[in-house]
Amino acid sequence: MSVTSIRETPRSRKRIDGWRWAGRIFLFLMLLYTAVPMIWMLLTSIKSGFAAMQFPPQWWPAEPTLASYQKLLDPQNSVGQDFLRFFWNSLFVSVCTTVLAVVVAVPAAYAFSRFRFPGRRFLFFAVLLRNMFPAVIFLVPLFILMRLLGLVNTHGSLILTYLTFGLPLAIWLLKGFYDNIPVQLEQAARIDGATRFQAFFLIVMPLSVPGIIATAIYSFIGAWNEYIFAATFLTKNEQLTLPVGIQRFFSENTTDFPGLMAASFMMSVPVVVLFLILQKYFVRALTEGAVKH
Amino acid sequence: MTVHTGYAGSAQAVRNKPPGLFQQMWASRSDYLYVLPAIVVMLVVIAYPIYYTVDLSFFRTPPGLQLRDKVFIGVDNYTTILSSDVFWRVTLNTAIWTLASTVIAFILGFASALALHRDFGGRAILRAILIIPWVISAVAASYIWKWIYHSDFGIIGAVMVQLGLVARQPNFIDNVNTVLPSLIVVNIWREFPFAMIMVMAGLQTVPDQLLRAAKVDGASAWQRFWHVTFPHLRSVSTVTILLLSVANFNSFIVPWIMTGGGPSNASHIWITHIYELAFGRQRWGVAAAYSVLLFIILMMLGYFYVKALSGNEKQEQGA
Repeated sequence: MSVTSIRETPRSRKRIDGWRWAGRIFLFLMLLYTAVPMIWMLLTSIKSGFAAMQFPPQWWPAEPTLASYQKLLDPQNSVGQDFLRFFWNSLFVSVCTTVLAVVVAVPAAYAFSRFRFPGRRFLFFAVLLRNMFPAVIFLVPLFILMRLLGLVNTHGSLILTYLTFGLPLAIWLLKGFYDNIPVQLEQAARIDGATRFQAFFLIVMPLSVPGIIATAIYSFIGAWNEYIFAATFLTKNEQLTLPVGIQRFFSENTTDFPGLMAASFMMSVPVVVLFLILQKYFVRALTEGAVKH
Repeated sequence: MTVHTGYAGSAQAVRNKPPGLFQQMWASRSDYLYVLPAIVVMLVVIAYPIYYTVDLSFFRTPPGLQLRDKVFIGVDNYTTILSSDVFWRVTLNTAIWTLASTVIAFILGFASALALHRDFGGRAILRAILIIPWVISAVAASYIWKWIYHSDFGIIGAVMVQLGLVARQPNFIDNVNTVLPSLIVVNIWREFPFAMIMVMAGLQTVPDQLLRAAKVDGASAWQRFWHVTFPHLRSVSTVTILLLSVANFNSFIVPWIMTGGGPSNASHIWITHIYELAFGRQRWGVAAAYSVLLFIILMMLGYFYVKALSGNEKQEQGA
């Protein structure tokens, strides 16, 4: 080993250490920025209304209580009745949207990935462009359309609308997955006498299960968190989904911050849990399209 | 055209003369069956609304949205918009909102991705925590931050008071001067994880050999980043920035739930303003005209988006 390389090693290590420390400090600050609001939500949700309204604030709840959660989850209580109903409505709408989005998107994404029919590029970009348009543009015409179809004040109107933004994303995510499954697998099946549909259904489908799971989570999260259409299409209290329900619910009674924080937490739990369990698939699918498009 | 896939493509290659468009379409008629359900859904709920919005923008419609009583007024709705002061105020807000949110969210996401790229203990947990704000509902996020900014019991104000920076709790979101920056902080909180995920994926495509070769050649950490890593992230960065700017331009829930556009329009952006015009003041025609203008702007952004995406495709084919 030469003298220069011995002299250079400690210097370059020092430089890398500088970067590493900068990275660590930065990550710590980002952790604070990200986590403090969520921790504050949790801490507030286990305070009494009185304890939450103090100055200077009680950083740590002196007498933690689960009263807010009990109230929300108690079917005997009118607050709990509403909250649980909103919860089930959200669940119903989100599950229906997810199932339909996957059923419609799987064949479409497969076709966009494998077939070379005329107009394919145009249609695919048309699908992608949908993601660019805000809900507000569609709000008035869809409201009129739903009125025509007699769907105002039904969950059907939401499921149909959520498909419009769920589908393009689902198609985009799934196409990325199909692009990565070798065509040779289907060609081999075709040589063995399978029809094109059989090749798709028996060979490709099972391989794309991770992609389908990712797509399903994405649709579910999108539908679960949607606010603007639900706020417009639904007027009856018993139909509201969680985001709208919580808003209506607390706009009359804004002083109950522990209750509001508990409700926000409960609303976040299903999507965060789903996401944490399946994040590997999810992140892979989301980025596949962008990176190797 | 790509070579790597497609039965239809390979079948065509065998023939001597390229078939006409209609022949091609007829030959691939079974292909269309796969995309038909998707196209039908898209036509009903996308093409029709766009057509309808353009149509409505030339009419005055009574508040109750009785469509039989609508009156054709030409481009009056458009002139009304362009001659109002609120329009320019809201446009400026939208520009600040979109630019600041996009640039800062991207920088924070990019830096987080770089810092998370090297392996260390607890990396997976840290990454998961950083992504959570992006997953939870925007409505919940708005309420959490509304509570954090609360003018009597908010935690940020309390810390500032305790440190002696201010005499009494600042009123973050009821103040014309601070409301927009305060909302941008919330928006960035929700969006930097998206940039982070995208850049992390991009980092995985940077070839290790190149980095090692650069190291052997004596390139510093910064030089390696600038000459090897960064060029590989260019296309993913373009797509991410475009997606972020579109999402920010279109964001609704955070400003709507937190302030409803107030105080005195200081936090109204285009989307919340359109919503208020339509469902608050029931000025359907004006709202539709706004939507058409919005549509035109987004089509231009969309043009760049498609160009960026096809740029990636070409790059891949060339490689």
